[in-house]
Amino acid sequence: MADLINLFIDDVAVSVPKGTLIVDAAKRADIDIPVFCYHPKLKPVGMCRMCLVQVGRVKLDRGTGQPVLDANGSPEIAYGPKLETSCTTPVEPGMRVITNTDLVKRAQKDVLEFLLTSHPLDCPICDKGGECPLQNLTLTYGPGVTRFDYADKQHLDKHYPLGELIFLDKERCIQCARCIRFQDEIADDHVLGFYERGRKMQIETMSTPGFDSKFSGNTTDICPVGALTTRDFRFRARPWEITNVPSICPHCPVGCNISLGTRRSAKGGGEWEILRVMPRQNEAVNEIWICDKGRFGHHYARSQARLQKPLIKKEGRLVEATWEEAFSLIADRFRAANGKAAGWLGDRVSNEDAWLFGKLFREGFNSAQLVNRPHVAGLDLVARYGVGVGTNLGNLGQGDVVFIVAGDVEETAPVHMLRLKAAVERGAKLIVANARETKMDRYAAISIQYQPGMDTQTVYSLLASVSNQQSAISSQVAKFAPSDNKIKAAGQLIAEAQNLIVMLGDERPYPVMVQGQYTDAGRALAQACANLVVATGHIGKANNGLLPLWPHNNTQGVYDMLSAQGAEALSGEVKALYLVGTDPIGEGQNLPPTDFVVVQELFLTPTAQQADVVLPALAWAERDGTFTNAERRVQRYYKALPPTGQAKADWEIFRLIAEKFGLKWSFFSAEGVMHEIAAQVAAYAGLDYVCLAETKEEWPPVGTSSDLYFGGTAYDNRGGVGAQTKSLFEINGRSELKWIEPPPPSGQSIEPRRLNRPGTLIDQSAIYEVRLRAAELVKIEA
Amino acid sequence: MTNETMTPLLEKYATQIETVLSKYPPDRKQSAVLPLLYLAQREYGYCTPEAIREVAEIAGVEPTEVDAVVGFYTLFYDHPVGKHVVQVCNDLPCALRGSDQFLEHACQKLGLDKHQVEHGGATTADGEFTLESVVCLAACDKAPLLQIDLEYFERLTPEEFDRLIEEYRKK
Repeated sequence: MADLINLFIDDVAVSVPKGTLIVDAAKRADIDIPVFCYHPKLKPVGMCRMCLVQVGRVKLDRGTGQPVLDANGSPEIAYGPKLETSCTTPVEPGMRVITNTDLVKRAQKDVLEFLLTSHPLDCPICDKGGECPLQNLTLTYGPGVTRFDYADKQHLDKHYPLGELIFLDKERCIQCARCIRFQDEIADDHVLGFYERGRKMQIETMSTPGFDSKFSGNTTDICPVGALTTRDFRFRARPWEITNVPSICPHCPVGCNISLGTRRSAKGGGEWEILRVMPRQNEAVNEIWICDKGRFGHHYARSQARLQKPLIKKEGRLVEATWEEAFSLIADRFRAANGKAAGWLGDRVSNEDAWLFGKLFREGFNSAQLVNRPHVAGLDLVARYGVGVGTNLGNLGQGDVVFIVAGDVEETAPVHMLRLKAAVERGAKLIVANARETKMDRYAAISIQYQPGMDTQTVYSLLASVSNQQSAISSQVAKFAPSDNKIKAAGQLIAEAQNLIVMLGDERPYPVMVQGQYTDAGRALAQACANLVVATGHIGKANNGLLPLWPHNNTQGVYDMLSAQGAEALSGEVKALYLVGTDPIGEGQNLPPTDFVVVQELFLTPTAQQADVVLPALAWAERDGTFTNAERRVQRYYKALPPTGQAKADWEIFRLIAEKFGLKWSFFSAEGVMHEIAAQVAAYAGLDYVCLAETKEEWPPVGTSSDLYFGGTAYDNRGGVGAQTKSLFEINGRSELKWIEPPPPSGQSIEPRRLNRPGTLIDQSAIYEVRLRAAELVKIEA
Repeated sequence: MTNETMTPLLEKYATQIETVLSKYPPDRKQSAVLPLLYLAQREYGYCTPEAIREVAEIAGVEPTEVDAVVGFYTLFYDHPVGKHVVQVCNDLPCALRGSDQFLEHACQKLGLDKHQVEHGGATTADGEFTLESVVCLAACDKAPLLQIDLEYFERLTPEEFDRLIEEYRKK
């Protein structure tokens, strides 16, 4: 523990770690110092002067350097002639801070009077009104009237698009630079700046497209006024009319905690809509950030194109049918298939859906031919050697090493990029190995660029250069001993690491035929990464093990469920095929030859168009459930919207089909399914919807319940912070090294994974289209 | 983005740019933004958006960062200006020494609207001169004074102003 400093704030004794700023120390003592430019996630700048306080320091004798004592023998305190900014001043022993004298109050009044000289009084139509730090602090500390002449007010552009997603109201801006600092310090996309100076100073961007950052939406959350608004939400609703429903982002494996701001809206025909998506604070997962895809990629839940009713193919055309007709037909055909049935399950569905899908196949269809899609290699290895319980990228620092291979963190798991960058600033070391340059190379202690297809070889070169490693596969690994000094240095870093996380990407060819043999290069790479953590002993502990860059939000959970249901690979003839939330035909692949196809979907995808029966499923926001993120944290999401048409939750559809097979399952909620999962899947033992809904105090405290100045009524985590499941190694202590000879490079090109690639769901967000097109342009150029 | 991208500035001033860059450590190329902007402004007359992108590319920073520098310094122009920029200080101490009457004369001589000159500056129809009224050239005791391009002329009379203008017209 760092040295503690004792001081007094408003006569309250406070003890805080050395280096703490006065403003944070006061917060620990429940004393609120008002701020605008200060933000606990950003470096202090002292720009707005709102946090001025009186600071007294222990008077030192110039000759002896000892404190001067008064008549009572206690140290004399010397107060500075001027007020000081508490957001830039660190605490000192014996310091006395006063935050509530007339002098301080007058300074606060004056600062607010200056800030309001040109700020428009359009609170009644401002998106921020109701959760606005400027509004809050003016009411609490402000002067009430101004001495400035109205004619001196600056009239500036009120609808200035910084980009296609974020608008700037130049009159409302108070030049606190929170947005610029977020872009510079946290996102590291230097696309916002100040133009001009003095009273004319304004935010600007010159990037193409405008405000080109994957994290731009976060600036609207931390903006302390209504200057920055999203195209999605601006002028749609007042914050107090919104119902914030806790949810989990349905796009990537980070599993960002979000709040869905819902309301009935006139624009939506009087129906409930998601008006905005905001981050929900979870310091172990996403802190208070989300990426733009998560923020703007929700429109699919309320798309007009959603499937409303079951469809059955009659005379070559899909026509509307009742659930009963659809279920009867499915039951008949799967019964007739007599065990020759197969299921393809997309990795976006909830754990509960995946569990009952497997159960339906096993108990109803008498088959275990279950495939999770898309194909990724190493799911079993992550289940076994994934990062240990208690892992938190926010705790990484001195002595910790993260090795990233075959993946672009910013493109696959954007918020991980922010947190790894911060970890490097705290002293963690990053080793990045890829076939091309990625943004992570900026923060890497060592960047390794290998020839495409040489990923596995590179991992073994690294393992061979870890000096203190002796293992069952040493002789095979020795063949890859590096001549490259960079790899040797990286091996040295790993040898000295206290904690090691290996981030397994999937930018490599999918299974292909090489020299007449079916080769899964991904499998070889995943095994190599597993060997690396096993051989070096970096498993079964917090902040150690594999952390995969999986393609979707629940890739790991779907695998966990299906494997626990005894899933087997496709082996024989398939007479009836059931696809859920996956579109192979749309991705240019073929279905196996079969007589009967059921597709359960949100949209009439190219695959659904080929189906014999199409079942409409509920979108994530219309139901509840759990997702398991890449760190194997199981997190709950809640129902935020009423259902679309006659659509049903996936798990419920499976239960109703099971009834046709005479199975009496007693699940009436997703929660009930989780009870069975917890009872039957070792890693999920002990989990239930109550413990997953537990929250804890988050530091730094932001949100309405704690302050007047960090804005955002959606930060408060009322939905639960989730629970991380144990890896199999943590359960049974078994590990083994396995040798898979690295396949030679196939020569097949590797398409980089892009966050903003078009897809069935994201295509429904019209406002996001420019980003998708911009990503296409990059691809053509590359 | 390809490495062979040659900006017009790089093509024309390869050696000068190399000299500028050589003054800073290779990983601190952004330090060269100011001298590169001088070069760009001299070449194009003002800091055009294209020039800003060029400088950003050469210095290895974002265009927004370069633009913020242009916005901060008053001697970088983000709009077309005349061949010569004339700045007359008309802050309080200078006004006490008659700078306002001097400015009025300057406007008359160049045929420019004083209100425009006082609010962002105005340029003569022939594109020779831009006249700006500015706040503080840090030489209050020598008012009325002005700065043409980067040169100071102090304790001026209207006649001296006329002579200066004729002189610069020939440059």
